[in-house]
Amino acid sequence: MAVPKKRSKRFEVLEQRPVNLDGLVSEWPEEGLIAMENPFDPKPSIRIAAGKVVELDGKPREQFDVVEQFIADYAIDTASAEQSMTMDSREIACRWVDFNVPREEVIQIFRGLTPGKILDVLSHMNVLEMMMAMTKMRSRKVPGNQAHATNLRDNPVLLAADSAEAAFRGFMEIETTVGISRYAPFNALSILVGSQTGRGGVLTQDALEESVELALGMRGLTAYAETVSVYGTEKVFVDGDDTPWSKAFLASAYASRGIKIRYTSGTGSEVQMGYAESKSMLYLETRCVMVTRGAGVQGLQNGSISCIGVPGAVPSGIRAVLAENLISVTLDLEVASGNDQTFSHSDIRRTARMLMQMIPGTDLIFSGFGGVPNYDNMFAGSNFDIEDMDDYLVLQRDLKLEGGVRPVSEGDVVAIRNKAARALQAVFAELGFPPISDDEVEAATFAHGSKDVPERRVTDDLKAAQDLMKRGITGLDVVKALAKRGFDDIARNILGMLKLRISGDYLQTAAWVDADFRVWSAVNDPNDYHGPGTGYRLSEERWKLLKEIPQAKRPELIGE
Amino acid sequence: MKELDIDKIVREVIRQIGEGTPPQAKSETAYASAAKSADRLDPKKDYPLAEKRPELLHTATGKRMEDVTLEAVMAGKVEPLDVRITPETLRMQAEIAEGVGRKQLGFNLRRAAELSAVPDERLLEMYNALRPHRSTKLELLAMAEELETKYKAKICSAFVQEAAEVYERRGLLRSE
Repeated sequence: MAVPKKRSKRFEVLEQRPVNLDGLVSEWPEEGLIAMENPFDPKPSIRIAAGKVVELDGKPREQFDVVEQFIADYAIDTASAEQSMTMDSREIACRWVDFNVPREEVIQIFRGLTPGKILDVLSHMNVLEMMMAMTKMRSRKVPGNQAHATNLRDNPVLLAADSAEAAFRGFMEIETTVGISRYAPFNALSILVGSQTGRGGVLTQDALEESVELALGMRGLTAYAETVSVYGTEKVFVDGDDTPWSKAFLASAYASRGIKIRYTSGTGSEVQMGYAESKSMLYLETRCVMVTRGAGVQGLQNGSISCIGVPGAVPSGIRAVLAENLISVTLDLEVASGNDQTFSHSDIRRTARMLMQMIPGTDLIFSGFGGVPNYDNMFAGSNFDIEDMDDYLVLQRDLKLEGGVRPVSEGDVVAIRNKAARALQAVFAELGFPPISDDEVEAATFAHGSKDVPERRVTDDLKAAQDLMKRGITGLDVVKALAKRGFDDIARNILGMLKLRISGDYLQTAAWVDADFRVWSAVNDPNDYHGPGTGYRLSEERWKLLKEIPQAKRPELIGE
Repeated sequence: MKELDIDKIVREVIRQIGEGTPPQAKSETAYASAAKSADRLDPKKDYPLAEKRPELLHTATGKRMEDVTLEAVMAGKVEPLDVRITPETLRMQAEIAEGVGRKQLGFNLRRAAELSAVPDERLLEMYNALRPHRSTKLELLAMAEELETKYKAKICSAFVQEAAEVYERRGLLRSE
């Protein structure tokens, strides 16, 4: 578009708006740079012979790649496929949205659909209808939220304090990752101690290379795994150093140790890695959701995740991101629905993107919400960071809905951060790790981010972190260390985390654990939404908690 | 090409459990009879197991949930194996998942039940061997054989055999 010689002052002002720093691109369907509704997407079809899928979306069985064969043999219910596939796509869309049609009926239809058909159904739907469907299709009744706890220097004291605060604020799960990979065991230990100080039962994970992550889980230093990636094309799957078979085996390996797991995928990953095979981002993501279902993994983290810049740049991309979340819950999986990486300079855009999940409610609205300042977030910043916490709390209050966090007082947060830092100091002393000084405890207690805490001797920490692995230290050693130093309550909480593995109750779909170590999942807290007044509603008690934010002035006292 | 029939395998495994003694631990005999009398678990009545059916649960060393206390840990009476899930518990969770229509999740938990017998190190090696271009077909078939004979992991063995076939067709084996 032509820019005239004499500039419009209006356009000059608009040019300076944050949204115009965002990278936006036009569609390129041939390369798969298109969110959904790509004319090159395979047309829906299925043929079944002797109980086997012999044709899927136009491709005969002998040409199936690993992804297609896995989906055909493990994810599609051949008994219902032919019936489901003959249904009119718009009719399926109507049943998906209509709250008079029970969730189970929709689940049954989708058991027999191919990726091509699912895309065709979605092409009839706008975001409002998708949100309506999400409200009904989410497997567990109560929505939840996850936080990130990381920092630039992998400072363990700060990790403990930040995860204690996140747990105290109400997050069901806390995820960390590393700046330096050799710090991994310390990061896992720090957020375990921190989270169990803030609230018993909060689940923790450390995003690492697959086999390292499993090794830490086996030690009882983490409670679940999430960054187990799956992809929509064979080439990208193999570039990611896995196949659906190796990933499914890994999922069973986790479960064999009683450890919860969900996979991760997201629109845009294939086109970003250059092998989208001319298919739309959502078509390929649908295949990821089906691989997850086929592997028998209870849930999926999707919503573009680390590739959000790609769907975020093309038309209808944020709609496609909501669509992928919706497909996940409709294939009866738990969904951790993204919102976990910076994708826009515009506060308006990042809020609008987040409302797609916050309004209908998902199992974990953010995966996760930055529990630390943007500069300390080692997942490249989140869509909302701790600086946005008060905005988020006010949004919850404005809309009277469950966002998964509660207002807290400064005094309580300072106290809980201090306790977590002292508990980690005790564990380090008891296990012979490089000491944590009282000054470090004090700094972490009052810190906003890693710029506010003294630097540690990284080489000593790294040596000790490797030593932790060599000595075979497990969660039980952490329990003992805490109890010896008088932190019996935290010790009991960590023991409670380890005991979750004995029953395996939290292996069921969409499980979380409350402060009394009771497990809640889609089995014992199923979503029963069927219209206004049903499903999850804020209780009187919960609403009282959410609406009473410390900033609100009491009108009767104004003017006194 | 050899194909897997999930339903058939699941039925076979369920039948085997029903019949008798799982191979891994001594304490399991006691459980097997308890499970028989309990019939199939009802997701509505029996889940969460820790709350509703604690009498069915034990650790890999035969301890009960209530034995694993902070006091016992401090007295040195709790080992890492005492907080380890058992194959029976995994199969009970599989039953719960299947009871609410989650067939694939149930199947995963049944694979997991089998893998609970494989030591940590070996399990990590097996996962790595299944990654693309890591193993020859013979190596994968040997691993399948090991799973079946050494760990009585029938479903997993068939799963690895199936992977070997698919990898061969798609060129994902290690070239020598």
